[in-house]
Amino acid sequence: MTDPHETRKRPPWLRALGLVTLVLFAVGAYLALVVSPPDVNQGQLIRMMYAHVAVAWVCFVAVIVTALYGMLFLWQGKHLNDARAVANAEVATFFAGLTLLSGMTYSKPTLNTYWTWDAKLTLTALMFALLVGYFVVRGLIDDPTRRGRVSAVIGIVVAVSLPFNYLAAAWFRTLHPTLSVAVTGIHMAPTMLVVLLFNVGVAALVYLTFVSERVRIARLERAREEARERRERGAAEGEVVRV
Amino acid sequence: MSDLAAILAVARKDLLQEVRGRAVTVATLFFSAVTLVMMAFAIGQDAALLQRSAPGVLWVALAFAGVIASAQSFQSDLEEGAFDQLLLYPVPRASVFLGKLLANWLYLTLLGLLMTPVTLVLYGAPAGPRAWLLVPTLALGTLGFALIATFYAALTANLRAREALLPVLMFPVVVPVLLGAVRASEATLQLSNAALTGGWLQLLGGFDLVYLVTCTAIFHLVVEE
Repeated sequence: MTDPHETRKRPPWLRALGLVTLVLFAVGAYLALVVSPPDVNQGQLIRMMYAHVAVAWVCFVAVIVTALYGMLFLWQGKHLNDARAVANAEVATFFAGLTLLSGMTYSKPTLNTYWTWDAKLTLTALMFALLVGYFVVRGLIDDPTRRGRVSAVIGIVVAVSLPFNYLAAAWFRTLHPTLSVAVTGIHMAPTMLVVLLFNVGVAALVYLTFVSERVRIARLERAREEARERRERGAAEGEVVRV
Repeated sequence: MSDLAAILAVARKDLLQEVRGRAVTVATLFFSAVTLVMMAFAIGQDAALLQRSAPGVLWVALAFAGVIASAQSFQSDLEEGAFDQLLLYPVPRASVFLGKLLANWLYLTLLGLLMTPVTLVLYGAPAGPRAWLLVPTLALGTLGFALIATFYAALTANLRAREALLPVLMFPVVVPVLLGAVRASEATLQLSNAALTGGWLQLLGGFDLVYLVTCTAIFHLVVEE
């Protein structure tokens, strides 16, 4: 480490990314709230969809990335990859919470109920529970290497569980509106699609900003932890010499 | 010692220990029976409702029993330091996992076979001509429970609050197993559309296969050195 004060500062690119994200977030909100036409069936309520779908997509991406960084950590043993996995898991938990909240607010006026045992809602709720388990276990392990390894394993199990949870929940019952953007084609007015994709892009930028900031903080935490360990070791050795 | 022999040896050890000590049997047999009775009281007198709840209650009881059985199988090994010795043997770690899994699976399947008639009688559900399909349903469903429970029991064996932690970690993962097994049992007992059994059994089989491969491949990472 060269200069501790240098690394403590937020790098310029991260500052710029944060600013761009903030500006684009405002533009996305303007597009969703003002520019987008009201929906034929749902009227003004369609404006909630832009936020709901955007955070939902990003939260699934973050879970997959958590598992991928976990695998990288298992493969190479670099603690930076563990920090990246945790950053993704934290953002995934946050976005899963947002997906659940926005989904419940959105479904009350459109489907006339806060909670349905719908496939996608159930999947998100289960994923939220799995992510909470990930953090509970992390909190109980002190050794950083074992903590990283066990978290990586849980991250993999969580990612593997997604398709099964989805299938089971989908067969169980579904009330969710069918996918408007699917591999088979797009069923959505062009303006609305542009607004949706723009908002998904903004959510992805928010995700990138949060993850980068979290990784930066994790590196600082680790540097401090190592410095303290060195100090303690030095103090202990000093005592031995005195005795 | 070949890997298969190692797996069988670990399974034999666990089952023999169970036959002699009966720690898990005492803990799970009466626990599942009490769950069945408690749920019957909670559901009430409505005969039709009781009949419809039978498969769900049976599988919830088996899920709880799976947690207890797999936690116990690591606990008794850890208490006497036997687990460290088990890991010292020159066999792949995966064979320790597969052996314990085999023992837990056999035990849960037996428990399920024992509990099914009890549930059917207590909840007044008719067996019907297709009831034999409950046997593959039990085998596939308990394999799913045993897989995730054994894996997470190894992961949590050294942690504080493991008794509370294991179900918290395990249940969100086994939701597809619970759903699949309950729906397949309902279809088998002709409480719902009988044609659905096959699809749910396929889901169970797919789950078991994918997690069998995944958990076996990454088990060596969760045991403490």
